[in-house]
Amino acid sequence: MSLFEATHQAFALLLGGDPKLWGIIWVSLRVSTLALISAIPLAVAAGFMLATFSFPGRRVLVILLQTLLALPTVVVGLIFYMMLSRQGPLGEWHWLFTQEAMILGQAVLAFPILAAMTLSAVQSIDARAAETAKTLGAKPLQAVWTVLIEARFAVMAAIATGFGRVLSEIGCAMMVGGNIAGMTRNITTAIALETSKGEFAQGIALGVVLVILALAVNFAMAFFQGKGISR
Amino acid sequence: MRPIFSLQQLRKSYGERLLLNIEALELMRGSTYLLLGENGVGKTTLLRIIAGLETADGGQFQFDGQPVNNASERAALAPRLIYVHQHSYLFYTSVAENIGYGLKLRGVPRRERETMIAAEMAWAGIAHLRAVPPNKLSGGEKQRVALARARVLKPELLLLDEPTANLDDAAREQVAELIAHMRDANNCVVIATHDKELSGLPDAVKLKLEEGRVMD
Repeated sequence: MSLFEATHQAFALLLGGDPKLWGIIWVSLRVSTLALISAIPLAVAAGFMLATFSFPGRRVLVILLQTLLALPTVVVGLIFYMMLSRQGPLGEWHWLFTQEAMILGQAVLAFPILAAMTLSAVQSIDARAAETAKTLGAKPLQAVWTVLIEARFAVMAAIATGFGRVLSEIGCAMMVGGNIAGMTRNITTAIALETSKGEFAQGIALGVVLVILALAVNFAMAFFQGKGISR
Repeated sequence: MRPIFSLQQLRKSYGERLLLNIEALELMRGSTYLLLGENGVGKTTLLRIIAGLETADGGQFQFDGQPVNNASERAALAPRLIYVHQHSYLFYTSVAENIGYGLKLRGVPRRERETMIAAEMAWAGIAHLRAVPPNKLSGGEKQRVALARARVLKPELLLLDEPTANLDDAAREQVAELIAHMRDANNCVVIATHDKELSGLPDAVKLKLEEGRVMD
């Protein structure tokens, strides 16, 4: 099959509403969205605390966080594979080769990006913001919320970046999800599988969706960053 | 009459340098104070200590007769006690939202809040800037928003740090005029300033900070 034919078939599959193809896309969106939602509260809180408070070991934690940014997805996959396998400490959960395992792994992948970018977002906010909030009557948590609202464009950019990272990763999804059709097969694992079988049409169709989603995420990120810069 | 705020034996050092060493200071309700002194003499530090934004090395403090020795206790007095920065920080939202920020925290209902915001903007002469974000405001406009935002909360003690610094003449005059009209019944305003126009505020008590001490 020529590249032209494969691409033509890919668009036919996409536009024809092929249920198998759209099922795979749905798994990707569901898993990555839930992973991100699970990671956001803890990661944003961690980023805020690292940006705001000084305590012993803070610098080590920041270096660790920055190191985790480059954590290979297969390493996260391997760690969770071992933890979730029957003999592993989380084996009783019976999560291996389920979407829950993929969500867990992707949440861990998203965490350092969200936390590191929140840290830098909060650090860029003028110290007078929190003081002004307090002197106008904000309680400590209200002042924290006010600072996060002030950093909202950069925090949104962090969320968009984190979403891009988990949506396009393959190592972790493949290892802990197992690439089971109709259950844990997502866009990236399906592309790898279909390509290895020589089924380029579906691979290209899914690739097109992934590129469109990546573009949307990048446009969102540029929009939020632009808003932040223009203030 | 009981002072709204008083302090005794305030000490504050930076490294080896003793910046503030004030035996006693009383701020009375219904009074305006001008805190004068050279650059770096500690005017801002004194205001920030009173507001609880900085800790002192030692000293006793009372607000309305109650001891508030801990900086966090003094900060918790907000918005009965409000500090306005030399370069005011406005939240990245509209002028109206900025002015309504403290009212919203207090749980003032939306309709009542809107009325109060409108009245305050009219007072400060910024009604036409209602929906404008802070990056579109001039220095003088920003300062007027900050004053209106503080005034709408009816603080019993208002601390203004160099409110007319870095403004052009026209903006300074406008802000000076607002400050002259700012003292509400029985409230206390303390203004750290170099500005000669503010030095001429009627009935203002001049406090000169020199070598860490306050001279009347």
